[in-house]
Amino acid sequence: MTAQIELSQVNKHYGAYHALKDINLTIEKGSFVALVGPSGCGKSTLLRSLAGLEKITAGRLTIAGAEMTAVPPRKRDIAMVFQSYALYPHMTVEENLIYPLRMRGVSKTNAKAKAQEVAGFTGLSGLLTRYPRQLSGGQRQRVAMGRAVIRSPKAFLFDEPLSNLDAALRVSMRKEIRALHDRLGATSVYVTHDQIEAMTMADHVVVMRDGVIEQQGAPLTLYDRPENRFVAGFIGSPAMNFIAARAVDGASIALDLPGQPVIAVDRKGAAPLAPGQAVTAGLRPEHLRIVDGESGSDHQAFTLPVRLIESTGSLTYLSLGDTGDISLVEHGREHLRPGDRLTLTIDPGLVHLFDPETGRRV
Amino acid sequence: MKTMFSSLRDGRGFDVGLVAFPMGFLFLLSGLPLLYNVVMSVQEVDMFSLGSFARPFVGLKNYATLFSQPETWPILKNTAIFVVASIAGQFLIGFGLALFFWNEFPGASWLRGLFLVSWVMPGLVVGAIWNWILSGDFGVLNYVLRSVGIISGNIFWRSDPNFALWAVIIANIWLGISFNMILLSVGLSSIPKDLYEAAELDGAGAWARFRTITLPMMRATIGAVVSLGLIFTLQQFDLFAAITSGGPNNASNVAQYWAWDLSFRQYDFAQGATISVIMIVFVMIASVIYVRSTRQEVRG
Repeated sequence: MTAQIELSQVNKHYGAYHALKDINLTIEKGSFVALVGPSGCGKSTLLRSLAGLEKITAGRLTIAGAEMTAVPPRKRDIAMVFQSYALYPHMTVEENLIYPLRMRGVSKTNAKAKAQEVAGFTGLSGLLTRYPRQLSGGQRQRVAMGRAVIRSPKAFLFDEPLSNLDAALRVSMRKEIRALHDRLGATSVYVTHDQIEAMTMADHVVVMRDGVIEQQGAPLTLYDRPENRFVAGFIGSPAMNFIAARAVDGASIALDLPGQPVIAVDRKGAAPLAPGQAVTAGLRPEHLRIVDGESGSDHQAFTLPVRLIESTGSLTYLSLGDTGDISLVEHGREHLRPGDRLTLTIDPGLVHLFDPETGRRV
Repeated sequence: MKTMFSSLRDGRGFDVGLVAFPMGFLFLLSGLPLLYNVVMSVQEVDMFSLGSFARPFVGLKNYATLFSQPETWPILKNTAIFVVASIAGQFLIGFGLALFFWNEFPGASWLRGLFLVSWVMPGLVVGAIWNWILSGDFGVLNYVLRSVGIISGNIFWRSDPNFALWAVIIANIWLGISFNMILLSVGLSSIPKDLYEAAELDGAGAWARFRTITLPMMRATIGAVVSLGLIFTLQQFDLFAAITSGGPNNASNVAQYWAWDLSFRQYDFAQGATISVIMIVFVMIASVIYVRSTRQEVRG
């Protein structure tokens, strides 16, 4: 693997506002990287800096080994799919597709032949003479992608391309984009605020907050081993439950719940906890298991009242605890009513612990 | 009567009322005079028959007479030069300024607003000011042109037959620039910024972006501005009255000023009406272009 895009110590200021703080990021050739984070975290600014639409204030950017920090967008050989698609409304689908080729001096005949080919695998063949206003949202999305892939650029940038589509279309376009990426062997950078999109599409996920990269890695690494409380809460749906706790001994904690239940934690080689040490326990809703009342004497178990039951048919979402702020997901259906008491347990290896002060994993 | 009021109260018929009032107003104050003008152009009208409507019908005799006069073609040619040169000047300078202020430098919108001052000035005042600027002996324009070395002797803008029409054209361009600029600025600001970003990433340079994005996206606005410009230039009367009065020897006379001169100074109402009818045809064409260009707005 070679690096296709490299950012080192990249900073971006808008006046007094510090939008990107010392970003270091290496994007491997052929990889699909997702930049994810809440709105205002700097992910779009980072993407636009890659494209050259924003000037970086300090730091260095190379694309395919060439210094690109101050190169204008049109000389970076990068294609971008915009959130609004940014299709040229006065041009037909075909004219939109051949525009990047025509601007690079490709003859009209060759460009049109290429447009036919791209239209073939993006499902636009019958639509070449239409105008963007005559297309549906999904078709416009395809034109935007076709316009990006037609000239085989060094990298594809996607700026929340699915946010204007309805839920069903979003799921199918997700797969199409990933399939297109694999087919072309391209390098893609994908910005989204939707962690499901990031997790399902990307090889490498970069979680950002307030202009800082909080953690990056393979999707499941982020899920299994979040480095801090922010990433733990951001990745996974419904979000992880955070419960204040105190270490009882090196490998067990007492949760700050009625009855101060004690559960074991698997430190997996990490330093044992100091007795009395304050921690935040992170328990994923899908990792909590309901056990029968009889096994309530189990060392690992604790009991909570049910506040709210939401069922989707295949999954049941439960809100537990006196304030209902502990959530649990169960496959199948639960015949429960608000007020019922549930005995829960969790695998010691699935308990995440964070420092209550710094939020870092302990 | 009672049903009419109830239909007004329950909302039915209210739409008809809303349309009927302005339509009636337009018919009374624009439609009827227009028709009256057309009728006069096929009648024999003099001072004594002015008060009555039943005047001798003469068919197209007024039109024949008009085109047999030696000054008709030169005046129509002047009108064409005036319209084309004024619109070209107003549009090109106005578009240039609109593009300039589009760069959003500090104070851009404030400065752009100041340009509107020229548009709210009465034509007669503008004419009076340009009289001073264009003055042959002590005018600022001659002074500037002499200082730069473009001319060696003074040009008598208002009294030289070669320059009289251009004197009015220069003043009219100045008067129309701000209107063109404001309308074109609105058009420019309605083009989504991401189109330019997409074009830039697609490899388009500044000139290519102007040619492939700005101009086509501005087509509707440009159509509207040019056709409104045609209507306004054909209406321009004050500047002629203030600067040259159509002289010397009709060198700067145009159809609209001539029509007024014939009707209200020579009392040849039929000829004045005939010229007006010819102008109506041109304004109608401009109106159709205007309506069509605003209807076919490009939407994303």
